[in-house]
Amino acid sequence: MTIDEKLNLIAETLDADRKNINSLTVLKTLDEWDSMGTISIISMLDRKFGKVLTADEIAELKTVQDILDMMCA
Amino acid sequence: MQISYYLPPTSLSNEELEKEYASPSWTAAKIYRKTGIKSRRIVTNELASDLAVGAGRKLFAEYKISPSDIDFVILCTQSPDYYLPTTACIVQDKLGIPTVTGAFDYNLGCSGYIYGLATAKGFLSAGIAKNVLLITAETYTKHIHPLDRSTRTVFGDGASATLLTPEDIQSIGQFVFGTDGNGAKNLIVPSGAMAMPRTNETAEKKEDLSGNIRSLDNLYMNGPEIYAFTLRTVPGLIKTILLKNSISMDELDYVILHQANKLVLETLRDKLEIPEDKYCIDVEELGNTVSSTIPIAIKRAIDKKNSKVNAGCKILIAGFGVGYSWGGTILTL
Repeated sequence: MTIDEKLNLIAETLDADRKNINSLTVLKTLDEWDSMGTISIISMLDRKFGKVLTADEIAELKTVQDILDMMCA
Repeated sequence: MQISYYLPPTSLSNEELEKEYASPSWTAAKIYRKTGIKSRRIVTNELASDLAVGAGRKLFAEYKISPSDIDFVILCTQSPDYYLPTTACIVQDKLGIPTVTGAFDYNLGCSGYIYGLATAKGFLSAGIAKNVLLITAETYTKHIHPLDRSTRTVFGDGASATLLTPEDIQSIGQFVFGTDGNGAKNLIVPSGAMAMPRTNETAEKKEDLSGNIRSLDNLYMNGPEIYAFTLRTVPGLIKTILLKNSISMDELDYVILHQANKLVLETLRDKLEIPEDKYCIDVEELGNTVSSTIPIAIKRAIDKKNSKVNAGCKILIAGFGVGYSWGGTILTL
């Protein structure tokens, strides 16, 4: 998956406007980054990359780049 | 296995929540999309004992059981009438069960029914009791702040009553349990017991980063962490249940997991590759009734029109959540 495809997937997962999603985006600036948004990302990472986040990893998700870092098989 | 359930009469729909919250992110449609729930039953003045009595009476009526047949009452609740005395004692009295019975409460949530079945199986197997009335009675809505959308949209109230006799021993399979107190803080009512007595400070409402309002006197749920815990724990739990019961997923007729919400149930179903027609998702009209979800789902699956869930069926049941606590077994109906 290219970075662009990954960013598209993040935007789709969060139901957010793609133009608001780039690697530097701070998650808490997004309206969609509430507990449902976090859950949707946890679900996406599990379904597409087989990765279930630990409590610490969830707490450390601060930017879109942090999510991108998790998106590897 | 004889099961009945009781729901409080008052309903809270997504439309009513939409009106209350007046926010574009919490329309009725969005609440349904996020949770799979359209409405949930809620208590007004009823207590857990009232729901328990309601379920018990329904059970007695449906299966023509006399209260005097019961020789043990086990009640699961996390919203007891009092710290003391035991709510099960109050329920024994109100149901007209003889005073020669035993009765006690136990404090568990989503895993509660599993632990209750294990206890009942033990009592029956050891000859300690012959007619165990296992009740789950939960009123989580009493712990929830009305402006906490993360919990108010998800939880509902309800009770179940199951009669277990020595004939049921062979219908209840081998159990798997798990506990991780490290997760305690993620689903908790922080104040009100010995760790943090209630004060004016604990009653102070605070707003969280998502705009939900609650105080320390209210239920707090860290949704994302509970969700991740479920994904980390439940697949392994199910595999172990199958192993311990020497049965494969293919040989099962139905799977009923704790009915937390539609998203987590669908995610687990996909992860475990369970066919849709073998998998229970029944949250739409009930919400998450905590320890009551599994027995209510079993009963509703049996009673459904053209149901394939009937006598002889092998069902895997598993509960997981608050504690953290989890467990499961195989039932042969």
